[in-house]
Amino acid sequence: MPLDAIPILAVPQGLHSDERSGNAPALLREIAEMLRRFLANGETSAIDLHALPLTPADLEWLREQLGGGEIAITLNAEGESSLNETACPGVWWVTHRNPNGAVDSEFIEVADVPDLVKAHHEDVVIGLDHLELLISDLSKQRAF
Amino acid sequence: MQGPLIEILARQGITRRTFMKYCATLASLMALPPSAGRAMAEAMAAAGVATKRPSVIWLPFQECTGCTESITRSHSPTLESLIFDVVSLDYQETLMAAAGHQAEEALHNAMKAGGYLLIVDGSIPLGLDGAYSCIAGRSNLELLKEAASGAAAIVAMGSCAAFGGLPHAKPNPTGAVSVSDVVKDKPIVNIPGCPPIPVVITGVLAHFLTFGSLPELDKHGRPKAFYGETIHDRCYRRPFYDQGKFAKTFDDEGARNGWCLFELGCKGPVTYNACATVKWNGGTSWPVESGHGCLGCSEPDFWDAGGFYKALSTPANPLKMASAAVAAGAVAGVAVSFANRGKKRAAASAHETTTLADLEK
Ligand code: SF4
Ligand code: SF4
Repeated sequence: MPLDAIPILAVPQGLHSDERSGNAPALLREIAEMLRRFLANGETSAIDLHALPLTPADLEWLREQLGGGEIAITLNAEGESSLNETACPGVWWVTHRNPNGAVDSEFIEVADVPDLVKAHHEDVVIGLDHLELLISDLSKQRAF
Repeated sequence: MQGPLIEILARQGITRRTFMKYCATLASLMALPPSAGRAMAEAMAAAGVATKRPSVIWLPFQECTGCTESITRSHSPTLESLIFDVVSLDYQETLMAAAGHQAEEALHNAMKAGGYLLIVDGSIPLGLDGAYSCIAGRSNLELLKEAASGAAAIVAMGSCAAFGGLPHAKPNPTGAVSVSDVVKDKPIVNIPGCPPIPVVITGVLAHFLTFGSLPELDKHGRPKAFYGETIHDRCYRRPFYDQGKFAKTFDDEGARNGWCLFELGCKGPVTYNACATVKWNGGTSWPVESGHGCLGCSEPDFWDAGGFYKALSTPANPLKMASAAVAAGAVAGVAVSFANRGKKRAAASAHETTTLADLEK
């Protein structure tokens, strides 16, 4: 049976959420403050957007205000995550999705690059091992 | 960030970044500051490098294994179940490879060491000196008392361990009680739900491992981070409730339009749980989203609350059912008798294949 043959309408999430609550403008000031601290002493920080009473319209507004930057990073880890720089360098919009594509959590991060992007040294060691294995295989082949 | 957990996860094909992402979301769900996500990832991954992994004993009593299913089969490979690899799960009958004397020996060794986290699922039958449910010839009551004495804290997982659950339902033939009815001198976290949401138990474990303490609890011993708001508070059908648009049967116009399920017996207004936000099956959906009211499964005595399809009398009056108010001749039942009348009318004018009375049988 095709899905649309089932006579139940799934009400879209965010129904009546097209109104802005008025909570978003304050966030711009908070982000500015975070940037000042970052410039002064390198302190990175983050805002959990799901912890705040924001409607989808608020988030949309905030996203528009912050604009799109030059870098957009996609992380494929148990669902897709996007880590996008906004038009304000150092301000990142981070969205984590689960394998079904639903948004799990959403953050604004103030940092050079979000922590998650950086390669961890333990993992670099594993990568190096792998590379050395490849190289030794290559030289073995040449010996023949 | 290093340690056995990261290695175990890597062997299961789960990368460091996946784990960090998971911890970030976990912290967000628990209403902890974003920095806590990082701290959790560090602490959980590092556990075990120090001296020994925190020991966990998991005792199943009078239960249906639904709670274990919920936690171990949420998605695959499930991070929730892998979190248990950070701890040393010394005894869990369903999951452990050892059996018989070997298993009992593991249990005794862990108990001798003390300071473990004790997880209990299922209620404890007190009738016939506890003979209704025994493991290795010993009653649940005896086992619980012994295991609790050396525990640092106890997690009562699922509504049976937390509140007695279905075994406790009237007339309670086995004399089933909850963990907190038996143990009075240890910190107990209740994680009710039938079954509980997997991420709630991981959240409590992560909190314990990261901060060495239990999260803040409400008056029923439930972690406030997950049981702080009602289903109704966060329900996406709430705008319809506020506009007075209610489905009167499961197949009327209102039901098709996704209106509020209050008059069909939804217990969302008096039920504290995280279904509306965390959802089920890896965030796919949750009961109200699939068209059925909340049963109230994370509340004490939900099983005896009068009927899953009977409207609540007033949202503010926990689990007081419409029929009870009417039977008692209470005047307070105006809104409700209106609701029930509406239901009858709708059932009569719609069609009669399945009536609410049928569902109540
Ligand atoms: S009564 Fe139930 S369906 Fe209606 S808004 Fe509340 S939780 Fe949602
Ligand atoms: S919607 Fe209600 S009955 Fe269903 S699982 Fe959640 S709390 Fe339990």
